[in-house]
Amino acid sequence: MSDEVRNDLKYTETHEWLKLKDNKAVVGITDHAQSELTDIVFVELPTVGKAVKKGDELCVVESVKSVSEIYSPVSGKITKINDKLDDAPETVNNSPYDDGWLVELEVTDKSEVGGLMNAESYKKLI
Amino acid sequence: MALKSPLYDLQKNLGAKFTEFAGFEMPIQYSSIKDEHFAVRKNVGLFDVSHMSNIWITGEGAQDLISLTTVEDASRIADKKGQYTAILRKDGTIIDDTIFMHLDDRYMMIPNAGMAEIVTDWLNKVAEEHNICATVENVSRDYVIIAIQGPKARGTLQKLTDVDLKTIGFFGCQYIDIDSVNCIISYTGYTGEPGFELQITPTKKAENIFKKILEAGKEFNIKPIGLGARDTLRLEKCFMLAGNEFEGGRTPLEATMGWVINWDHDFIGKEALLKQKEKGDFERITCLLCQDKGIPRHGCEIHKEGKKVGKVTSGTLSPCLNTGIAMGYVKHDLREKDTILDIVIRDKPVKSKVVKPPFVPKDWADKN
Repeated sequence: MSDEVRNDLKYTETHEWLKLKDNKAVVGITDHAQSELTDIVFVELPTVGKAVKKGDELCVVESVKSVSEIYSPVSGKITKINDKLDDAPETVNNSPYDDGWLVELEVTDKSEVGGLMNAESYKKLI
Repeated sequence: MALKSPLYDLQKNLGAKFTEFAGFEMPIQYSSIKDEHFAVRKNVGLFDVSHMSNIWITGEGAQDLISLTTVEDASRIADKKGQYTAILRKDGTIIDDTIFMHLDDRYMMIPNAGMAEIVTDWLNKVAEEHNICATVENVSRDYVIIAIQGPKARGTLQKLTDVDLKTIGFFGCQYIDIDSVNCIISYTGYTGEPGFELQITPTKKAENIFKKILEAGKEFNIKPIGLGARDTLRLEKCFMLAGNEFEGGRTPLEATMGWVINWDHDFIGKEALLKQKEKGDFERITCLLCQDKGIPRHGCEIHKEGKKVGKVTSGTLSPCLNTGIAMGYVKHDLREKDTILDIVIRDKPVKSKVVKPPFVPKDWADKN
């Protein structure tokens, strides 16, 4: 079972990760999440420019048998999407923390990031 | 609490992830649904399907009871032959689809998971009402059912028996010793690939057989297969899943199972079917191949020019085609081959084409 948890990331209870750089945050799903889902075959990404609130549905990740909603860890505006996933959704399985990122957000309220879990707490959760 | 298959511990050791299905905790997948799917299409896979039901029908009226309660004339089915059929209510709707096997002077019926009591009670009630002398016995918990499926299924199983498996034809069935345990074998399955199903009793003998088959299939890269791949395999071949395709009371005509109806005998539901057939204007199961990205799921609406014309009963991504596929009920006049319909997935219409079943042809593995 591969369950890598990276120390430089923030985590949610719903298995998203977030990496903050200045006021931009990159979001994806954790190694644990991709390994539970297995065989990711479709990612429905949002449109750039869309505003989301913390906890809103950000995108949809589908495995052969399941449909999973991915929630936004923080509030913000979508500035980039990983459209490579259109043709290669399995990248989320192969590289959940790097090439398999989902979206980039412009964070509205940085204090929300502080409320997320660190690697230590997330390890305990899984 | 969910029931467990007698093979539960073994499956857990083999790395299965479990799901509850019809009151049973069964493996949904081991490695990955895709890997398991391709193992069956190209080589061989081994399934535990003990959640399915077993009913013995015995007595001098056994054949008459089956003929009356199914759309098949059981007198047509010779000893050592099985038949796929459906059990109907008086109004023609399907109670269950099932296989029955003719074994000497008795019959074994294999209804779906969770249907054992319903079917047993129904058959007993009909026998009583029509003074048919037959005994119907639910023996589901006495049997483990395993399925070995794929182009290398026969080569694998042959190592464990002296019976020449080539002598068992499509839908043939008989008693057989597998690894010195007397089982019922049938050339049947739910994957569209060649293969066999084994009914094993007592259930404590099953674990060793399951292990032996995995061992025998090693040279063909055999894999244990979960219910996830079982569903994608059957859907690529457009086989019905009782809980999905018969939900809400559907007739075999609506489910496009007309080919299994033997009209030359009397059976419960026949009058209703004849009336429906004459009217002809009923929704029918239709196979839809997505033309754009998107994966249809159970419950998605089917639209034509923005208007609802049907509903998806089963949908998935086809691992072989890497495309969304769906079965669903569509209005009778909109299901001509190549008709373009929309499947609505999360409020977005996804263009789909009506195709003739199956989605994946028999020779797929040879070409891929």
